[in-house]
Amino acid sequence: MNHVTRERRLINIWIVRASVTLCLTSILIGLVLFFAHGSQMPATPTGSLRHIVGGILEPGRFWRVSAFLDAGLVILLLTPMVRLLAGIYVSMRMRDWLYALIGTVVVVLVLIGLIAGQAGV
Amino acid sequence: MNPMLIVLIVLCGGLAGGFIGALTGLGGGMVIVPLLTLVLHLPVPEAVGISLFGIIATSTGAATRFVGTGLSNMRVGLFLQMAASSGALAGAVIAHHLSSRFLFVLFGIVLGYSAIMSFVPKHADIVGADHDSPLARRLRLASRYEQNGVWTEYHVINVIPGFLIMVGAGLLSALLGIGSGAFKVLAMDRFMRLPFRVSTATSNFMIGVTAATSAGYYLSHGDVSPVLAGSVILGMLAGSYLGGHLVRSLPVPLLRRIFGAVLLLVALQMLLKGAFNL
Repeated sequence: MNHVTRERRLINIWIVRASVTLCLTSILIGLVLFFAHGSQMPATPTGSLRHIVGGILEPGRFWRVSAFLDAGLVILLLTPMVRLLAGIYVSMRMRDWLYALIGTVVVVLVLIGLIAGQAGV
Repeated sequence: MNPMLIVLIVLCGGLAGGFIGALTGLGGGMVIVPLLTLVLHLPVPEAVGISLFGIIATSTGAATRFVGTGLSNMRVGLFLQMAASSGALAGAVIAHHLSSRFLFVLFGIVLGYSAIMSFVPKHADIVGADHDSPLARRLRLASRYEQNGVWTEYHVINVIPGFLIMVGAGLLSALLGIGSGAFKVLAMDRFMRLPFRVSTATSNFMIGVTAATSAGYYLSHGDVSPVLAGSVILGMLAGSYLGGHLVRSLPVPLLRRIFGAVLLLVALQMLLKGAFNL
């Protein structure tokens, strides 16, 4: 196994472990707060991803249920994307331009999904 | 219904979905979508969006078993992912323009088929290809994997049929909130003749990316309730972990038949709901 392949596997292992830990922690805190606050169901975001990310980063919302839950969802959503980006990076390191391009096309498709949903296509 | 009770029901549903998925190979989405639509009466796009997050979670959780084994073929995965993500993107958009009744019928058919297939005994490994097709050679898809210190080389054929099946798998995944893992393995096993272990590991990576393509659409479209999606994620991860650890100590063939029969009934109910609004 060459060092680039080993590097790719290590990157993937760390991405997956960190993502699962962060996502589960955020969601667990969110659900504990949900039960502690007495059953107030946070509204389904009717706006967009921008609204959700803005809500997570807004200081006043830090201890609100939805900020933790939204953060958990966004972390989980980004995990496959980060694994893809790691794949593109390794392909570029190996000067495998075809697969770097194919990986980029897939990332663009995921981004189009986010934008199209926000635009209400 | 009390919001706390709803969350507890969804949490238990996620647990059951993850557990059944780990034991039978049927995806958790097959349990979550009927639960959210038939029991909790959520609109289909909301149920599908929530289920897709559960699928990303189980795929990411299972990835800890696969990454580092060297079984996953990244070139095959990335190439086919273009097809699966295109299908998923189209499916997410189309789903918002289709009637709920049509989606219920489609879900009923796919669930019924999957439940029936869970009764059919699995065949032994399909014989691998002894050469690469010209396109596979051009794309450098052939590879090798190590098992017990022995390296096995394999070849790849039928790249275009595999690619087209992946478009369909992505479309179904986004329309119905399922992982479509069975279709992905079918394309790689039956058509492209990848070894079963390689196709399973590669499919795991692809299921997460495909679900992320459409889940991103559903989330930014405002279809995903964070509390319910969080409950599904937690439940499915715990259920699949539990199922994965108990799979050796439980009578899996018997359980597979029982769950298959239950899912067949759920499929019938989805069909009736779609066809006659019952």
